[in-house]
Amino acid sequence: MVEKNQRVSRGIIENQNMPRSWRKETKPHRFCPGCGHGIALKALGDVVDELGILDQVLYGCDIGCSLLSWDFFNFDSIQTHHGRTIPVIVGAKRARPEIVGIAYMGDGGGYAIGAQHLVNAATRGDRITAIVANNTLYAMTGGQMAPTTLPRQKTSTTPYGRDPLITGSPTLGPELVAAIASEGSYVARGTVGDYNKLKLFIKKALLNQMEGKGFSFVEVLSTCPTNWRTGAKETWGFLQGKMENYFKVGELQVSQGNRLGEEG
Amino acid sequence: MQRILEAYVGEYASGKSENAVNRSLQLIKKGRKVRLVDLDVVEPFYTLRPLKKILEQMGIDVLAWETAETIGLGEAAIPLKKETIRALEFDGDLIFDLGYGIDGCNILKIIKDSSGEEKEEKIKIIMVVNITRPLTSSVPLILKMVNEFEEVDGLINNTHLGEETTIELIQKGAIMVTEVAKKLSLPVVATTALRDLASRIGEFDVMGNKVWPIDRYMSKAIW
Amino acid sequence: MITESGGVKMAKETLAGEYQEILNNEKEMFMTGNEVVAWAALAAEADFMYGYPITPQNEIMYYWAKLAPAFGRGFLQTEDEISAGFTMLGGALVGKKTFSATAGPGNILMQESISMAEMMRLPGVWIIQQRGGPSTATVIYSQQEFRLTTTGGNGEGMRLVYSTSSHQELFESTIKAFNNAWKYRFPTFVLGDGYQAKMREPVVLFNPKLRNWEIIAAEPIAMKSGVPYLERDPVHLRNTFNIEEELYDILSGHLADFRRMKQEVVEWDEGGSEKADLLVVAHGIVGRAAISAVKTVNNQGLRVKYFRPITVRPFPGEALRKIVSEEPELKILVAESAYGQLLSVVKEELYGLANTIESYLKPGLGITAEEIEEILVRLGKKEG
Repeated sequence: MVEKNQRVSRGIIENQNMPRSWRKETKPHRFCPGCGHGIALKALGDVVDELGILDQVLYGCDIGCSLLSWDFFNFDSIQTHHGRTIPVIVGAKRARPEIVGIAYMGDGGGYAIGAQHLVNAATRGDRITAIVANNTLYAMTGGQMAPTTLPRQKTSTTPYGRDPLITGSPTLGPELVAAIASEGSYVARGTVGDYNKLKLFIKKALLNQMEGKGFSFVEVLSTCPTNWRTGAKETWGFLQGKMENYFKVGELQVSQGNRLGEEG
Repeated sequence: MQRILEAYVGEYASGKSENAVNRSLQLIKKGRKVRLVDLDVVEPFYTLRPLKKILEQMGIDVLAWETAETIGLGEAAIPLKKETIRALEFDGDLIFDLGYGIDGCNILKIIKDSSGEEKEEKIKIIMVVNITRPLTSSVPLILKMVNEFEEVDGLINNTHLGEETTIELIQKGAIMVTEVAKKLSLPVVATTALRDLASRIGEFDVMGNKVWPIDRYMSKAIW
Repeated sequence: MITESGGVKMAKETLAGEYQEILNNEKEMFMTGNEVVAWAALAAEADFMYGYPITPQNEIMYYWAKLAPAFGRGFLQTEDEISAGFTMLGGALVGKKTFSATAGPGNILMQESISMAEMMRLPGVWIIQQRGGPSTATVIYSQQEFRLTTTGGNGEGMRLVYSTSSHQELFESTIKAFNNAWKYRFPTFVLGDGYQAKMREPVVLFNPKLRNWEIIAAEPIAMKSGVPYLERDPVHLRNTFNIEEELYDILSGHLADFRRMKQEVVEWDEGGSEKADLLVVAHGIVGRAAISAVKTVNNQGLRVKYFRPITVRPFPGEALRKIVSEEPELKILVAESAYGQLLSVVKEELYGLANTIESYLKPGLGITAEEIEEILVRLGKKEG
């Protein structure tokens, strides 16, 4: 951990694979081996580098594993409460519209405890970018069922597998947002299994915000071998098999009904 | 005898309810039949309701919720009483007390629409002005507020500072309200003042507008 | 339909000027408390209000939304009070003076963001217009949000709370609240109530700068100028800590700051007889009734004093204790529209003193000067 006043050598040997917006002093990062967050945040870092917006980004992260990214980057960041990252970033963006606001959270923060904020930021067309990592469970608290847990998937609170008759079906975040977001919004679902596509989606999302078009939303299908109790092969198998079968990767068209400037 | 239809509008806390109540009593004293309609849907909890019984004893037909009827409704009270939208079905004068803001004024449209009557009876819209209310404290600001109401047929100068009201202040109000009225070619219906102050001013204010003495009834309400 | 006259066009163009004149001219205005708050926020150079409707604070939003655009200030109606609180903190984070207003169940929801503000020292001003409780209760009035506002949240109640008793004080305390929120960076409140929110009385609005009041500017906490990493260190803020000692160190620093702030901000109002047999302690609108009652019974020859805390957090405990400890026979009466919320603080502050403490507790119910007068006559002794 880097203390406030501690000067750390900023490295003579440049790691060419590390985005310049990544904070070297806090690497290696604190995510578990095989965790998808590192890949998602690499894509984000690369995009910030490409767009040259290091001094414009305000990055907010949630509670859950996403909070481990609080000092991950060289841009300014704030770690908030569970589910409250979207309103913090919305508040900052409304107060200073020139900022590029990024709210990064897990599926619990996005679709359960913070669902009202996601829904309302999308309908208001807040010019922020929300990124939700979907790993099908609550990882930091010990692998409980999340809104995104797949049918029959075992978690610590669904020891016999998720029964949709009792706990419903997995939340389809991008589909939800696409149905309600105001015109000009950008919605996509990427996966850490396809880095280039994920990077492209995040870039388009940030550009959408920077051009002032509307709300931008990217769900990232992510991995959690620690709580899935999977080896490398099974981890990728679950991601690219069951998860991508259920959660379709790609860009989503925002509903045409949500036109701006039209009276009912 | 043509019946009187008047709606009292104005800035929040400008004295709409007080003026509507006093106008109703003024008409009752002339031996007319009067219905007072509470249309304050903007702030339903701070309306004529607590006064209903007293006013009814004075002979006014009051269309407002009774406190007992709203028990259990809390904030979810349905502010518009069902009978209220048929308020015009009454053979006498009608005085409407409207809530603040543009929406308060628009509520009249509901009444008109639901009356089902073809003959167009004009409800006179009277804006109550107190120049010690910040948003009606200068000529340009009063003009702006008249514009927000879209439709105003007359102005009332109800300038006061509660207990600290002076005759000089009321006359200042009369001058400002008259200036606005001239710019808009509207009549100043009256200057209203508490009875003792009114008697000291006389029959007309400094601008020659009629002075209507009023009594305080709203202090018997919660506010 | 009145067509837009030259006068109206002019009004639209000169609105900001007209509004500014209202502050600059210091004319006496007849206003409701909610309006006073909106004007005070304007005078204190607040930048942005984030709010959610709840009675009895709605006119604060109504007037702010009406006035703010003329001055280029902002307003956002959020999806709930949780969001209102956190959007506020987002705005404060990037250097804007932000505020919100709420009551009752909204105050409960707001506590989550206030807790984060307390931990992270993010400034903000919350206006609380207390309504009946618990639960939805009444939209009208109470003093039952005293405890929630002063010490709510899962921490130590490091907050600054003004409890006002007149529109003039409401205007001035709101301006002070903005200044001190950004000076000390503890969550700052103006604790009003439904009566004060709706009550109408004369007040003199003023432009604080014309009275040489310092207006403390908001500074960005994150998103300062300069490229992070290259020209300055990036700002990384968090409220999660790994070890007990780390948290303890941070809280110790905050608590030291809070104690320092106390010395500079505590305010109270005391008066009545020089020598007294009886001391009435009340805050807010009940404090006002108490003062009026004390004046009446003083005229009847009763030796009675009053003590009205203006900052109810931090509480002016030393001042209260000084009065009480000087007169061992002094009997104390605490009056509040709550069931002992102020009373418990008074007892704590007077711990160890042997004076009798009586109370008049009416949760959710207004207390008039006449009621207090009656009790004072009953409890008080005649002079000589």
